[in-house]
Amino acid sequence: MHLRSLSHALIAAALIFAALPARAQTQPPETVEADVSTRSVSITSNYTGTEILIFGTVEHSRQPSAEAGTYDVVAVVEGMSLPAVVRRKSRVAGLWINTRSVRFSSFPSFYGIATTRPLEEIAEPEALGTHQIGFEYVRMVPSGSIRWAPATPEEAEEYRAAAIRLKKRDGLFVQSDYGVTFRGRSLFRATISLPPTVPVGPLTARLFLFKDGKMLSQYKSEVMMERTGLERFLHDKAYDSPLLYGISTVLAAAAAGLFAAFAFRRTPR
Amino acid sequence: MYVYLPIAEMSVNVLVLLGLGAAVGFLSGLFGVGGGFLMTPLLMFLGISPAVAVATGTAHVVASSVSGAVAQYQRNNVDIKMGLIMCLGGLVGTIVGVETVRVLRKAGQFDLVISLTYVTFLGVIGALMLIESINTWRKSQAGGVPTARKSGQHSWVDGLPFKMRFHRSKLYISAIPPICIGMFVGFMAAVMGIGGGFVVIPAMIYLLRMSTNVVVGTSLFQIVFVAALATILHAMQNKTVDVMLALALMAGGVFGAQYGTVVGDKLRGDHWRLGLAVLVLAVCFRMSFDLMATPADLYSFGVLQRGP
Repeated sequence: MHLRSLSHALIAAALIFAALPARAQTQPPETVEADVSTRSVSITSNYTGTEILIFGTVEHSRQPSAEAGTYDVVAVVEGMSLPAVVRRKSRVAGLWINTRSVRFSSFPSFYGIATTRPLEEIAEPEALGTHQIGFEYVRMVPSGSIRWAPATPEEAEEYRAAAIRLKKRDGLFVQSDYGVTFRGRSLFRATISLPPTVPVGPLTARLFLFKDGKMLSQYKSEVMMERTGLERFLHDKAYDSPLLYGISTVLAAAAAGLFAAFAFRRTPR
Repeated sequence: MYVYLPIAEMSVNVLVLLGLGAAVGFLSGLFGVGGGFLMTPLLMFLGISPAVAVATGTAHVVASSVSGAVAQYQRNNVDIKMGLIMCLGGLVGTIVGVETVRVLRKAGQFDLVISLTYVTFLGVIGALMLIESINTWRKSQAGGVPTARKSGQHSWVDGLPFKMRFHRSKLYISAIPPICIGMFVGFMAAVMGIGGGFVVIPAMIYLLRMSTNVVVGTSLFQIVFVAALATILHAMQNKTVDVMLALALMAGGVFGAQYGTVVGDKLRGDHWRLGLAVLVLAVCFRMSFDLMATPADLYSFGVLQRGP
């Protein structure tokens, strides 16, 4: 009896001693594996926007349940960077007129972000800044030329804030604080919706796994966004052979006019 | 049912476009006006950028003036020689107009200029129409007969050189005034997206002293070519012609115009004319309000010439 309980205790102790260092040494780090629901978004004549679903798993998840909140996931879908001009109106003789403008040589045309909880609870600004996570850390490069660049840092900040505000208003900068949800200990999903006004071009989907404010793992993927069918044909023609496009438009218009004139010809009175 | 516009890069309900086309077509059938001066501002109210609205408007002008010009030609109401001379001026005016749009857009002032131009034009035309329709109404109430215009007076136009004979109009006048009028039409078509009948027709009657029966046909004949050129040049220089938008508007316009003509034959014009005047003034007030009211956001994104 005594001996038996002693042996039990020994085994238990051995197990604990064996397990502790092993746990610290061999438990592999958490990583994220993910994919995007669609590799290409086609813009057709009846395109009214779309939704991009990003799903994935946390490998070696130590999260006890979906609700535990051990991990934070941030999903970012970014449109291609384009130059942009922000103009400011002021009142001149009773009318509101564009008087000052600042040019950004590079500015994301779309920025959609979904997170498991509000961004400021997930990580410190430094970490977010490094990975350009959140509207405040979006990469915006002011123009190098003196004529178009902001005059002072305050002005730069003012125009930057205005640009973000305008993008938010147009639904091109979207944020969803609880847009990423865990479906179990390791499986999660996020949806980011693209309005029909997103400029056509390649999109980048990025995903970050955070734990206790530290970035553990990330994933990146490209999503093509292309015009297809008639939409593509018309747009390509308009830009590549504008003369032909213009003449065709005129001929189509003339045909419509002739149709109207002859189809509805009224008997002379 | 939404349609994605390839150049405007936005999704618009196609029924709204058909309805807009039909409504403007109805008005143009009813009053015999092109309707471009209503089409462009209404497209802008829909959220379509002014440059696309104007350029696509020129394509719409082609359609509506072709059908009018054919009908007039069949009645032998077109002075082809006069029309071609005006086209000559129109060519220059259009080129200058399209280039003006390009420069203004680059400077970020096109939206302002187009709004100001429209406010001025719509204000003047709306007011004139209102006064005229009230006057005719009064006269018809009083039972009076509209007074005929005096003719046969000489003016400075007769002193100009390069005289030409225009058989259909039975005129022997200098080619300079028709060229100038053509230039003005071309410029307006390119900058405002309109046919400009409401300016050109009075100018042809009072300056060239053409008889009213050939004025409408000749002005329609020349605007077909001027608007066609404006459309092609806008497509080349500014890439702002949206063919889908234009086709949707035309499809509605074809039927609207027919219905408008039928209704116009049955109804007395005065009341409707008063209605049109009020509508024109309403659009004018809305545009001036947008210019003068403090904008919700002082900042806005400007256009940059974008690649394919």
